[in-house]
Amino acid sequence: METLQCKIKRFDGKQEYYQNYEVPYEKGKTILWLLTKIREEQDPTLNFTSACRHAICGSCAVQINGSAFLACNSSLDEVLETFKTMKLTFEPLKNFDVVKDLVIVWEPKMEKMEQVKPWLIPSEEGTQETGFIQSEDNYHQIAAPTDCILCGVCASECNQLAVNDGTYLDPFILNRAYRFTVDSRDGSPEEHIRPVYENELWKCLHCMQCVTKCPKGIPLTDQIAYLRQESIRMGEVKNQGAKHAFAFHDDVKNKGRLNEVMLPIKTDGLVNTAMRKVPFALRMIKKGKINPFHMPKEVEGIKGVRELYKYAQEVGK
Amino acid sequence: MRYAFFPGCTLESAAEELMISTKKVAAALGIELIELDGWTCCGASHIQDVSDLLATSINARNISLAEDLKVDKLLTVCNTCTLMLRTAKLKMDKNEKVRNEVNEGLGRAGLEYKGTVEVTHLLWALIEDYGLENLRKMVRRPLTGLKVANFYGCHILMPPNVMGFENHMNPQSMEMVAEVLGAESVDFDQRLACCGFHAVFPAEKEVMDLTGKNCLSPKNSGADCIVTPCPLCQMQLDAYQPDAQKGFKEDITMPILHLPQLIGLALGFSPEELAIQRHVVDAIPALRESLAIV
Repeated sequence: METLQCKIKRFDGKQEYYQNYEVPYEKGKTILWLLTKIREEQDPTLNFTSACRHAICGSCAVQINGSAFLACNSSLDEVLETFKTMKLTFEPLKNFDVVKDLVIVWEPKMEKMEQVKPWLIPSEEGTQETGFIQSEDNYHQIAAPTDCILCGVCASECNQLAVNDGTYLDPFILNRAYRFTVDSRDGSPEEHIRPVYENELWKCLHCMQCVTKCPKGIPLTDQIAYLRQESIRMGEVKNQGAKHAFAFHDDVKNKGRLNEVMLPIKTDGLVNTAMRKVPFALRMIKKGKINPFHMPKEVEGIKGVRELYKYAQEVGK
Repeated sequence: MRYAFFPGCTLESAAEELMISTKKVAAALGIELIELDGWTCCGASHIQDVSDLLATSINARNISLAEDLKVDKLLTVCNTCTLMLRTAKLKMDKNEKVRNEVNEGLGRAGLEYKGTVEVTHLLWALIEDYGLENLRKMVRRPLTGLKVANFYGCHILMPPNVMGFENHMNPQSMEMVAEVLGAESVDFDQRLACCGFHAVFPAEKEVMDLTGKNCLSPKNSGADCIVTPCPLCQMQLDAYQPDAQKGFKEDITMPILHLPQLIGLALGFSPEELAIQRHVVDAIPALRESLAIV
């Protein structure tokens, strides 16, 4: 009979170590079945959290071979097929503190979430007596973001959180801010967006991990784009992120292609660029990677490109 | 084999060596690349932060230019260009409302998106269309002894509903190509890491930290060089490496090659013919030592 070789990261509050377990393979099981079997039959001291077994409570997310999975709705066979191995290494989610073994701490994340006011700030259109009238479209706006079960998978995979000092907001927090921002009953979207903007919104690396790994398929990266668009509408345009985005936006409109020479100046300003990017520029020029005199010409059909800009402005998107 | 070719902005300036090496390799393999007339920047994962509609529209326009060439596929050599074009294509193909709206705008430019062209990346095309066994037959200088660290970059893998060529958690395409060329692939922790390029301005400190880690990890695994299918990963890891070094005590020096340069070496081109001398971190000494290239 085939055997699963499981290596699980243990932590007893002081020491970290890996412990090996062998489990006879069974077809058609979940990852949560495997962890539960180890705890029930081999090691009652192994700690992990789980409850609903139906991808509702969000408590059983773990890392397997470096990727985050929700244990209860992850098929063991699919995981084995993905990694083409019978050897599975279990570790707690990344970017969380660990209590014991695979159990992580949520309290600091919840405190962090409070910054975005993750509650409805009612608009004046509704009253306690009559409530709010929502259209089907209004409902669809919040349908995906309210699917979040706070499993922490997105935060574990977030590449910005991995190198950030803790200021940057976890993707599930951004989702929560988005959820109230687009709720037709909420009267103060700016109160949710402002703290998002102030907590390094533009530091998202665009790595696509959160949207890829979310077990609920929530379009987290589209939400980040929306929050950035809204911060721009609120007038927050004098920051590196917005200026960088507009540099691309404007270059395509003007010439069709990016002007790499001007990009740092448009993003950081002339003074900052001169102060900080000179060694970079010199090494690029030395290798022929930047030609300071290269100015992109207008691409063929640039008038048509500008028509697209006019059209987007007309339809207000 | 005939493809419409979307170079992307970096190939015109900072990564001109990728344009040079891609054209050399394609010609040697008998792959015809027809550069689109009038292509624009793909938006580089930034324009959607200003306007979703524009991000989709400019790439639907790029794809429609390829459709006019009567080819099956539009080929890129950049992960982010591939992702931006495929994201637009998916929206156009799956969402009638978006398609009608975007085509309304394109109509004013005398264009129409029809959905007849696929968007692919050179790495995929070599495996899917050209065939690795055919590539193996073209190898003139097997890269025996060269230890390469394959750095995929995020945008050739994720999100899988847009990309989906292979499993994003355990991709093998780069290793398959390296094997055919005779090189040895080295396993390393940061193999599927993010290079951070798209946020190098607003998150400079964090991205330099990432860059250092991304160089140090393959170095500690004994790699001679990193190879990447993305010019943006290449630029981040190579051109910013001296800046990243400042945050690390250990020597992080790691040469970074573009995928077509690695292929070109195996096809018998000299490093100079592939413009490898254009890299900030000199890759030629490592190649000379491992491959006995004079």
